[in-house]
Amino acid sequence: MKLQQNHFEIFGLPQTYEVDRQVLTKRYRELQQEFHPDRFAAKSEREQMLSMQYAAQINEANNTLKDPVARAQYLLQLAGIEIHPEQTTADGEFLMQQMILRERLEDVRDAGDPEAELEELGSDADELFRAQEQAFSASLGNQALDAASAALLKMQFLAKLRRQIDALEEELLD
Amino acid sequence: MALLQISEPGQTPEPHQRKRAVGIDLGTTNSLVATVRSGTAEALPAEDGRVILPSAVRYLEDGVEVGYGARAAAGGDPYNTLISIKRFMGRGLADIKHFGEQLPYNFAADTAGMPSIETVAGAVNPVQVSAEILKVLAQRGAESLGGPLDGAVITVPAYFDEAQRQATKDAAKLAGLKVLRLLNEPTAAAVAYGLDKAEEGGDVADKTIAVYDLGGGTFDISILRLSKGVFEVLATGGDSALGGDDFDRAVAEWIAVEAGLGTDLDAATQRKLLDIACAAKEALAAETSVPMAYDHWSGALTRDGLAELIDPLIGKTLRACKRALRDAGLDTADVEEVVLVGGSTRTLRVREKVQEFFGREPHADIDPDQVVAIGAAIQADVLVGNKSREDLLLLDVIPLSLGIETMGGLTEKLIHRNTTIPVAKAQEFTTFKDGQTAMAIHVVQGERELVKDCRSLARFELRGIPPMVAGAAHIRVTFQVDADGLLAVSAVEKSSGVAAEITVKPSYGLEDSDITRMLQDSYANAEEDIAARALREAQVEAERTLEAMLVALQEDGAELLDERELGELERAMEALRLAHNGGTPEEIRNRIDALNTLSEPYAARRMDKSIKRAMQGHSLDEFDKP
Repeated sequence: MKLQQNHFEIFGLPQTYEVDRQVLTKRYRELQQEFHPDRFAAKSEREQMLSMQYAAQINEANNTLKDPVARAQYLLQLAGIEIHPEQTTADGEFLMQQMILRERLEDVRDAGDPEAELEELGSDADELFRAQEQAFSASLGNQALDAASAALLKMQFLAKLRRQIDALEEELLD
Repeated sequence: MALLQISEPGQTPEPHQRKRAVGIDLGTTNSLVATVRSGTAEALPAEDGRVILPSAVRYLEDGVEVGYGARAAAGGDPYNTLISIKRFMGRGLADIKHFGEQLPYNFAADTAGMPSIETVAGAVNPVQVSAEILKVLAQRGAESLGGPLDGAVITVPAYFDEAQRQATKDAAKLAGLKVLRLLNEPTAAAVAYGLDKAEEGGDVADKTIAVYDLGGGTFDISILRLSKGVFEVLATGGDSALGGDDFDRAVAEWIAVEAGLGTDLDAATQRKLLDIACAAKEALAAETSVPMAYDHWSGALTRDGLAELIDPLIGKTLRACKRALRDAGLDTADVEEVVLVGGSTRTLRVREKVQEFFGREPHADIDPDQVVAIGAAIQADVLVGNKSREDLLLLDVIPLSLGIETMGGLTEKLIHRNTTIPVAKAQEFTTFKDGQTAMAIHVVQGERELVKDCRSLARFELRGIPPMVAGAAHIRVTFQVDADGLLAVSAVEKSSGVAAEITVKPSYGLEDSDITRMLQDSYANAEEDIAARALREAQVEAERTLEAMLVALQEDGAELLDERELGELERAMEALRLAHNGGTPEEIRNRIDALNTLSEPYAARRMDKSIKRAMQGHSLDEFDKP
């Protein structure tokens, strides 16, 4: 069985892209205080199983809402649009920009000060990501679902770049 | 489906009756049991007053010996005396051969892929050996608390994978213990020091905690992050072959040189020197210099002298700390609390060097041998319901990613490491042949890309898929990891709604039927009445179910149920009561299932109601204030 509510309803949050992280965290903890299996450790087997299902669902909802890309994917899913995580954008200009960013990433190792270069690349990527977040939020608010989908595809791209930057940073530290 | 008893914050639904709960530290070298009494957690001693139970089990023709006696016999009866068995939990025979050391045991692979060791009492596996240790501790707990235990929290290393955790839980089941929770050892140590508690008048602060655990033969370092009530293991590291025993060895070698004994010493002399070394090491905690004598030689060991001998070894542990911090992406300056665990942290030089490394004084007030068991006891007391619910909520994460094998021997990660548990993930599969009615899923754990580099956990075989053309069947497989980090898998074919039948083959573990068989064997040995036990278990479950239902009905039965529903429920409860009072275990179980099924819609309504209630009284702006 499933909770009847969607992830936003579980936390009593408005169904928008902007989520107040503090409210989310506070309510997440309140719900886990109530439903976590540890609260039912001395109860019947069925109660334990049920509480585990609820706690898992609360965790899933929390993980989805606190992650910007997962949250955007979920909002579109609620609007009836499935975006595959590996789906790519057809925006030529954006792709060109991505290629340049990726080339910069590949050149980091050979740079005079790799760490500084990586830092700069990271902050550029973050800025671009924030711009797409704003585009997504505004489009979704206006029910412009095509535009929101396009923004999400770019967010996915940039989030992946961010992960690669982080991975390289870890490598450089060794 | 049963009802969840949701109580108001601070209230306990049951009449106040203290439950008997213990925390158990099931260690590689030593094990302990602790409990909370009059608000204080304390380790429980054996009749001889000693709290430590050496994790040694000796099999005799007519029985089993556990503890000091067994450990003392290890030299004389190596084949039948099993020590450090924890290292074999959840491991296959191939893994053990990889340990690369000479083990005296006669290994054979058993059907479950687990190592099985030949003893004079027959073949035993690591789960059975661990169960013997747990039985002694459970018995000690029951005697001390004046009755059978209601539950236990058992600690495991933070890096334990699913197979190792499952093996630990299976051992508890064999020992007749109800496991309230498997708790990570470093988390237990942090709980013992109350590091989870809020600061005076404030909210729980975010904290980074390093737990430095130096035992007799192993070293573990764990970096924990406590944030918003979630205990997260950021990184673990260590050395599985470094401990206080190495300190003794270093001192013994020094004596041998000083006394001119040469290097070719017989076992008895070595043993004697190690004993002198160990005694001197311990005496140096109080003295600055201790006299020593062996044969015609006499001398003295100073604190500085000891430091010189063991500093290289301590240096190794600190390098492991550095690596763990780097894995966590942290610096020593980020660590706000340091906790010492393990008997070897009594050595003053260790404390000095740890303090120097982290730049802060470590917590060391609680006996480092007991601190893990004490933390487990505190958590057990909360879980069993003796303490109000506000006190402690430990949200754990899964230490290693769970994935499945895909084409070409690649791993597809389903649940990433450090995801808060419990967690469930569904994945859809389809058939690739016309009329295909079965498929196999291989579940692995680890971070690597290739299946062969990860640990194989289990193979699940789905059967009973309705025959369809290739690609038409959509099988939704749900992987569920519970709060102990243990995996369960269920599957359903979506278009037909047919639940696929699942057979689990753990790679290095026991199937349910194995456990049942071993339980029966052990009952036969203990001459316990298995039927009586099964009946009692069913009755207890019936009582729990009836009580939950009664409390629920009193609370909102009239509000959420119409008269017909209420009548049906009451009849089902009456039937269960009758079965409870004179039925067989099967009859009781059937009645419980019937009542649970009947109450399913009611359970759902109650849950929605309590979620609404949990969210009530919150206005949005309430959270805006810092």
